[in-house]
Amino acid sequence: MNIKEYISSGIIESYVLGLVSDTERDEFEALCAQYPEIASARNAFEAALEEQLLRDAVAPSPQLRQQVQEKLANISAVPAIDSAEESGTPVRRMGAWRWLAAASLILLAVASYMLVNSHNKYNELAAENHSLRNQLEQSSNQLAAMQQDAQMLQSPGMKMAALKGTPHAPQALATIYWDTASNRKDVYLMINNLPQPPSGKQYQLWALLDGKPIDLGVFDMNVRQTRLLVKMQNVQKAQAFAITLEPNGGSHSPTMDDMYVQGAL
Amino acid sequence: MSTQLTYEERDLVAALRQKDDQAFGYLYEHYAGALHGVIKQVVGDAELGNDVLQETFVNIWRRIDSYDESKGRLFTWMLNIARNAAIDKTRSKGFQQSQRQIPLDGEVVQPSVRPGIDDFGLKRLILKLKDEQRLLIDLSYFQGYTHEQIATALHIPLGTVKTRIRSALTQLRVLLS
Repeated sequence: MNIKEYISSGIIESYVLGLVSDTERDEFEALCAQYPEIASARNAFEAALEEQLLRDAVAPSPQLRQQVQEKLANISAVPAIDSAEESGTPVRRMGAWRWLAAASLILLAVASYMLVNSHNKYNELAAENHSLRNQLEQSSNQLAAMQQDAQMLQSPGMKMAALKGTPHAPQALATIYWDTASNRKDVYLMINNLPQPPSGKQYQLWALLDGKPIDLGVFDMNVRQTRLLVKMQNVQKAQAFAITLEPNGGSHSPTMDDMYVQGAL
Repeated sequence: MSTQLTYEERDLVAALRQKDDQAFGYLYEHYAGALHGVIKQVVGDAELGNDVLQETFVNIWRRIDSYDESKGRLFTWMLNIARNAAIDKTRSKGFQQSQRQIPLDGEVVQPSVRPGIDDFGLKRLILKLKDEQRLLIDLSYFQGYTHEQIATALHIPLGTVKTRIRSALTQLRVLLS
């Protein structure tokens, strides 16, 4: 190795000013230890640099010294956590602070992830809770309605007529509850068993008085899901009741061929 | 004279390692201005310069045990701590929002000489170099860009960047002596 060439290559200045790679630094330090000429050339450049910079010093603000002293007093009171090993020429390295900073960034990322996660979980649970609450409310309402219906069945003036299936529909069955004790004489229908009507058709209830039908209204099968009893139109006097299948909306007079159930009081 | 200085420096380092307040006071008196000058040239702002100088002395105090006199002078060691702290400051978000940045993405605008910042110390010396060399020293030493970053930004081969910086630095040595 040509020492003179190495000395004048600019490596000394690069090293002193901290502009070398890790490899170059290690190599330079090894050569310095081996060749006193290199070390003394380095020393000469360092001295010249120091002299120049001391000559061109820019005095910091006078208060700064006090601030630095206070800071150091605080540090001395607390054991240093930064024991990062630093060589003669400090180059940019991952010091303890950087590791700490990196660690806290990772921690932050993990925490954010968990926060987002638990926020999503929270939203899920809130939605679930909401839907459960709705279901509960619905069920409670249904139960209350059915209890109300059951109570009505027990009232003293309630008359009952079982409407039995005609030959047309032998399995069909419905029950009329007629509240003759009240002034209004409310009519309630319980659908025990009726086949699902074809589309475009609806069942219609009739009261029969002296052989004449009185329209008590149409009803849908799905009312069974929420009520025991379907309130129909009132009738003051009746001897029997019947249900026929009619076009949607009902008819003025019953279609006798499509009578499903009937029964007298 | 140099023998005496070396001897004093050895004493000074020993006292600093004992966390001797008086030695530290001497260190500050003697070197704060020189370090401050370089810091100011890196950050270009007096208030930030004060912050960085404070950090620098805190770091010197904390790390004095890791100073190895076989690898260089105490001042060199402190200078590198100061420069690193200053460059770190320029990399911080707050700084980048408040300061004009020389974009390192191909087209580099050579800033004019700012009075009180570029007209003393090493910056004044490098004004005597060729533009191209001055730019390389400015980007690498004062702005802390790696040779690789400079090569990419200026579209120069990495080997050329290194050679030119080395050559600029040998001229700097001549200018210093």
